[in-house]
Amino acid sequence: MTGLPILSIMTWAPFVAALVIMFAARHRPLLVRWVSLAGATVSLIASLWIYWAYDYDLAGFQFHEEIVLVPSLGISYLLAVDGISVLMSVLTSIIIFAGVFASWTVKERSQEFYALLLILTTGVYGVFVSLDLFVFFLFYEIAVLPMYLLIGIWGSSGEVLPQGIFGWAMGRTGVGTKEYAAMKLTLYLLFGSAFILVGILALYVAGGSQSFSFLTFEAMQIAPALQTWVFLAFYVGFGILAGIWPLHTWSPDGHASAPTAVSMLHAGVLMKLGAYGVVRLGIGLLPDAAVEWAWLVGTIACINIVYGALSAMAQKDLKYVIAYSSVSHMGVVMLGAATLTVNGLNGSVFQMFAHGIMTGLFFALVGLVYEKAHSREIFKMGGFATMMPGIAIAFTIGGLSSLGLPATAGFVAEFLTFLGTWSSDYRWWLFPAVIGAFLTAIYVMRVTKQIFWGPKSNDPRFQLLPDAQGTEWAALGILVFVLILFGLVPGLAIGPIDTATGPLLLRLTGQ
Amino acid sequence: MTFSPGMPLVVEVALFALAVIVLLAGIIRPTPRGYADADAPSAPAGTTVGWVTLVGLLAIFGLTFLATEGESLLRGAFVQDGLAIFAKRLFLGSAALSVLGSLTIRHDAFTRRASEYHFALVVSVLGMSVLASARELILLFVAFELMSIPLFLLTGFLKRDAVAPEAAMKFFLVGTASSAVIVYGMSFVYGVAGSTSMDAIPAAMAGGHPLMMLGMALLLAGLGFKIAAFPFHMWAPDTYEAANTPFVAWLSVAPKAAGFVAIIRLFLEGVGDAALVWIPAISVLAGMTIVTGNFMAIPQQNIKRMLAYSGVAHIGYMLVGLAALSSSGVGMMLFYLVAYVFGNMGAFLVVEAVAQSEQSNDIDAYRGLHHRSPLLALAMLIFLLSLGGIPFVAGFWAKLYVFWAAIERGLYGLVFLGAVLTVVALYYYLQVARQMYIEKSQHPNPVPIPTPLAAAIVACLIGVVGMGVYPGPWVAMAMRIADTLF
Repeated sequence: MTGLPILSIMTWAPFVAALVIMFAARHRPLLVRWVSLAGATVSLIASLWIYWAYDYDLAGFQFHEEIVLVPSLGISYLLAVDGISVLMSVLTSIIIFAGVFASWTVKERSQEFYALLLILTTGVYGVFVSLDLFVFFLFYEIAVLPMYLLIGIWGSSGEVLPQGIFGWAMGRTGVGTKEYAAMKLTLYLLFGSAFILVGILALYVAGGSQSFSFLTFEAMQIAPALQTWVFLAFYVGFGILAGIWPLHTWSPDGHASAPTAVSMLHAGVLMKLGAYGVVRLGIGLLPDAAVEWAWLVGTIACINIVYGALSAMAQKDLKYVIAYSSVSHMGVVMLGAATLTVNGLNGSVFQMFAHGIMTGLFFALVGLVYEKAHSREIFKMGGFATMMPGIAIAFTIGGLSSLGLPATAGFVAEFLTFLGTWSSDYRWWLFPAVIGAFLTAIYVMRVTKQIFWGPKSNDPRFQLLPDAQGTEWAALGILVFVLILFGLVPGLAIGPIDTATGPLLLRLTGQ
Repeated sequence: MTFSPGMPLVVEVALFALAVIVLLAGIIRPTPRGYADADAPSAPAGTTVGWVTLVGLLAIFGLTFLATEGESLLRGAFVQDGLAIFAKRLFLGSAALSVLGSLTIRHDAFTRRASEYHFALVVSVLGMSVLASARELILLFVAFELMSIPLFLLTGFLKRDAVAPEAAMKFFLVGTASSAVIVYGMSFVYGVAGSTSMDAIPAAMAGGHPLMMLGMALLLAGLGFKIAAFPFHMWAPDTYEAANTPFVAWLSVAPKAAGFVAIIRLFLEGVGDAALVWIPAISVLAGMTIVTGNFMAIPQQNIKRMLAYSGVAHIGYMLVGLAALSSSGVGMMLFYLVAYVFGNMGAFLVVEAVAQSEQSNDIDAYRGLHHRSPLLALAMLIFLLSLGGIPFVAGFWAKLYVFWAAIERGLYGLVFLGAVLTVVALYYYLQVARQMYIEKSQHPNPVPIPTPLAAAIVACLIGVVGMGVYPGPWVAMAMRIADTLF
């Protein structure tokens, strides 16, 4: 490979930008934004370069970088990417690039906001590219912890107040406030990371490994009994981040309360970290257990799809609709993985990408609508398309991708997943999956119609609203473009994915 | 036998000399009785005594680096091995930090009775120091008492205060009761082993005589009081709340470290596989301590009480390392002790800074601290994250390593419980972070921090971050000490 540590550059560029912001750009809001943009741009270029330079014929892990950290324990800073991580890095780059634009208007303590956001981004990149499980875990923690402050300080409390028993609970516990959401999200995810840590340590100690390298673990013969419960630990640990039912409840609260860029990054990328962890560590390292537990993973994924969609239908707060739709779509990701077929797994990873872009777009749009109209209440808004046609069109395209319309990325992902499901051992999974797609159509169309295309609201607040402006267009333009591009030319993503999922499935027994 | 500064007992003699000097300073230069003005322009004599103590402790701390390892005195009753030297450094270092933090207390009693305060503190350190070297049951017990009695005095130091005497009395009753239990246990051990030397314990334990087991169980219970493990933890919150904070910072770490040294000496040193029968008992103790400490900490409104309960939980985590009863387990536990010293003392010292300014130990007093004193808030956040076990600060490695040791022993359930409960712990640590960073303060003026206190906080910060970023040498040191015990 080249002498340039391209993966490290991609991973640490946001971190360097964060340091520059903290120390060099104090009280200069515009400079803060430009430095952030520079950091995000460096990462974007690096990730596109990796995407371009990755040798798809060779496949496997490429761009190795290694620095030994603790030789006695076999911990080293070991980075490399395969097809899946390449795509995930590109996704992260796109989202953070758009996210910097989307949060251009953050006023309060913007310097710290951008610094935390960029540190979070470094954690996300680190998880996708590190091959050493220990370093992987450290990056994972970096990706989780800044969320507490990001939501707690810059978040917003729920607008539609809970009623009945929930109203009482809110009075008692602060359900629905940003502080509650921040604490809930952080504790859930750290709870998950406790499972992951125990799983990794158990593999290392009980498996008798001398190193934390993924490749060492992959080459090891791990006893089936150990695999069985370590897989469960990984599934629960990463599954919490991926929003598996019934451990998903942090996600609607957290995403609805978080500021725009954080929602974009978290729902768009961080939830994928969970699914990525299940695929990479669960299926990749523990093939026997993956076969053994496929029924559980797939069944829960089906519940996710239907439950998430039904919950989204019931919401009155626009941001909660999007947040619950994430829960539903993450079900598709997990379902694809559970099929343990090439098509299903390709669909799963494709859905990670497609949903990442799509949900990033949605949260950016919700943020814009809120900024203009100062409302998230679906049934008070109406007929916005006349005033903000750009936002309306972008929202509709996102919605169509969400329900899986051909020519959008969402279609390819769902189609592949359904195809994989049909050829898996559990065909009946297809029925809840298709019902979920149908329900998605209902809630997406209903919301789009009500807010944008339906009759105009009489509320005096909503009579003169501007469309997106300036930098806001940049965020929307990039995301819509990518969404359609990957829908029309799915090979752009399937190419890299295929190089990684094939070998992964070869390791499974009976494939 | 020629004298060398590395001989055993040199540290103890030096501590004794320091104690005498501090006491004499109080007698020879008495401060005006009664109405000493706290803000008098000339530095009050109390501060001078404090500085003398500090310099003395630091000098003795330096002396420990001359100590030659492996020598013993009094026919093996007083040893100077790696564990003893490690423990002495920990006691002396933490005491120095505590004295540094208390130099600027402007309370009348501290300026007037400074030599009493520092005398008691130094004597207690002397007791700990002897205890760390004791390889004989009676010496161990005497050292324990020498350590404990000054602690009772120091807890009730503010004797006109409403709560201090009560807390001191509670601490005293619990402490003497536990001492009685220890002595009672020792009597059985002596009866079976036929000797008060600890060299006789391994053989007696291997014999598995029921009375020996009873004796050791009583010893474990008595030491459980000292380290505030469940169900013997009740004295801690009240004591911490009532006593002055820099002293509590030290009280929360040093006597517990001493208790652990005693447990290691009694249950592990040279015992070998006969010790393994204690794994279930210590595991249960560890699990219950973690659960109780963490859950009791949640509803606390007073930060000192919260830290007291969280300290109980930390004792539980150290017991997890101990429960492995392996050399790696003990090594990891020693590492945990050091991480805990820095993290916990640091947090208490920040509490002192805030309390001096706000006259309050409520968690509400931290409201908006980030806006008022960003660096102090950041320091507190780092200490809390370290206590919570977050990567890149010392506490993460500490927890990781004790879990690791326990997994090597196959204690998956215990590790799992501990790992899950770290999340509970983060809940109450983050509550403080929320007050500091998310809530708005009522008044914007920064919290004044006296220079010595700031220096002590910075020292803890260096320790926490240094151990977090580069744990290697500390681990190597802890493992080397642990290996010599087996």
